[in-house]
Amino acid sequence: MSDDYLWDRTGQPDPDVQRLEALLGALRSSRPAPAVGEPGPRAASTRWGWGALAAAATVAVAVGAASVWIGTRVRGETWTLTWLDGTSWAEARAVRQSRLGTGQWIETRTSRARLQVGDIGEVQLEPATTIGLVAAGREVHRLSLVRGTMHAFIWAPPGRFVVETPSAVAVDLGCRYTLEVEEDGSGVLRVEAGWVGFEHAGVRSLVPAGAVGDTRPGKGPGTPHYENASAAFSAALDVIDFGGDADARRQALDAVLGEARPRDALSLWHLLSRLDGEARGRVHDRLAELVPPPAALTRRGILAGDRAMLDAWWDELDLGPSESWRPWTAPWSSSPAANTGR
Amino acid sequence: MELEYSPAMHQLTRLGPEPAGSPESALAVMVSAARDGDRQAFGRLYDRFAPMVHGLLLARVPRPDVDDLVHEVFLQAMRRLGSLRHAEAFGPWLAAIARNRARDHHRRARDVVELPEDVAGAPHPEHGALGVLAAIQRLPDAYRDTLVLRLVEGMTGPEIAERTGLTPGSVRVNLHRGMQMLRAALGGSTPR
Repeated sequence: MSDDYLWDRTGQPDPDVQRLEALLGALRSSRPAPAVGEPGPRAASTRWGWGALAAAATVAVAVGAASVWIGTRVRGETWTLTWLDGTSWAEARAVRQSRLGTGQWIETRTSRARLQVGDIGEVQLEPATTIGLVAAGREVHRLSLVRGTMHAFIWAPPGRFVVETPSAVAVDLGCRYTLEVEEDGSGVLRVEAGWVGFEHAGVRSLVPAGAVGDTRPGKGPGTPHYENASAAFSAALDVIDFGGDADARRQALDAVLGEARPRDALSLWHLLSRLDGEARGRVHDRLAELVPPPAALTRRGILAGDRAMLDAWWDELDLGPSESWRPWTAPWSSSPAANTGR
Repeated sequence: MELEYSPAMHQLTRLGPEPAGSPESALAVMVSAARDGDRQAFGRLYDRFAPMVHGLLLARVPRPDVDDLVHEVFLQAMRRLGSLRHAEAFGPWLAAIARNRARDHHRRARDVVELPEDVAGAPHPEHGALGVLAAIQRLPDAYRDTLVLRLVEGMTGPEIAERTGLTPGSVRVNLHRGMQMLRAALGGSTPR
């Protein structure tokens, strides 16, 4: 028999090769996910509120003109911190290395810095960024981003890299993303690959690649939306999430429903859990036009917030199965809300 | 309970289409961009080469360790990307890192005693696959690499050549001879 099939799958199929392909394909890294259990115990972490940070800042000790360490409570594992010079990441060159321990904070000021996150990834810090290492454990690595911009590139299993901000907690679900925090505590999450969970006080967003999630102090994460959504769509979501009176919100919902593309089902699905009453019904009906729900789902069940039904509809959005992120939502709600400093 | 990596996340990390042009020029563009800190480009490199790295590691180290090692290899590659002189050589260069990482892993794991299969309890659905994999792992390097990439990762011979830098002729010979040796090792028949 010719070995064409073994070579490039042309020609007459070789039954032996076909059997081996079927058998060994189960070992491929992209095979369907096994059932994922509940996450393990969280690493013991110290709660560092903003008051503690402020106190630490008062004892700041400068280690260079362009960067500064603040806080000195070092415990447990440390991460490698590389200070970089250059006017861009492309030109950045390492000038100094040090260690960042749990309980320590840094300000990059005019420098860039690269933080090796144990063996699970890397974080790049832009100038004018203040960040603290809250926990560096076997189960969970936890940073606190007070202000500035960080780029995370994480290879760890989902749920092991967590970043606290003043208004929401970002949980890595296997991805690359950029997180910015303004002086007032508001933030923007931009996901470049994979997923990030964004949560505060039970309000959760799942932000996939190409999407953005805003967050505001006291409000938590807004409704995620794709970056290429229309400006009117994004602006209307902002009104629904963060402000406006009843009339303004009603008009904003009109705009959202009118502007929504099939891809924006991501946002509408989130709105199902964030709106209530008539508004929720309107979102349901528009989403059903864009992405018909499975036959077993009922409007009544969706409007009642039936989680299984919501998950089943999510699975129709072509965003990956809900079971790939649902197990990781459990620990978010126990994330320290005190990180908001309130 | 130890957390497990969900391979579904691999699917979720897929990015948009690769840059247009020939595979060679697209690769050079991706490598160059990744070297300049473009994480999307590095993501595309990961999407394209992760199966190769996974296969090369799977041919050499215990399966439970492979996913973590794939990540380590890419992290190591990211750190060293500046030292890669010819972008077109990214595949062979990455393959070398993967093989070296597998060797390091064996050195570090020298004292670890693996459980024999007969204490593994109830038959696992992957038992047959792991048995065949064990037979492949006992083949010479060139044969086990190409067989794992072809039979496990689902790459064709031309794809294996393109990713690893081997000539198509070498890959074809390795597949042919490797398959002969595997058939012999399995007693002339393949498991069903």
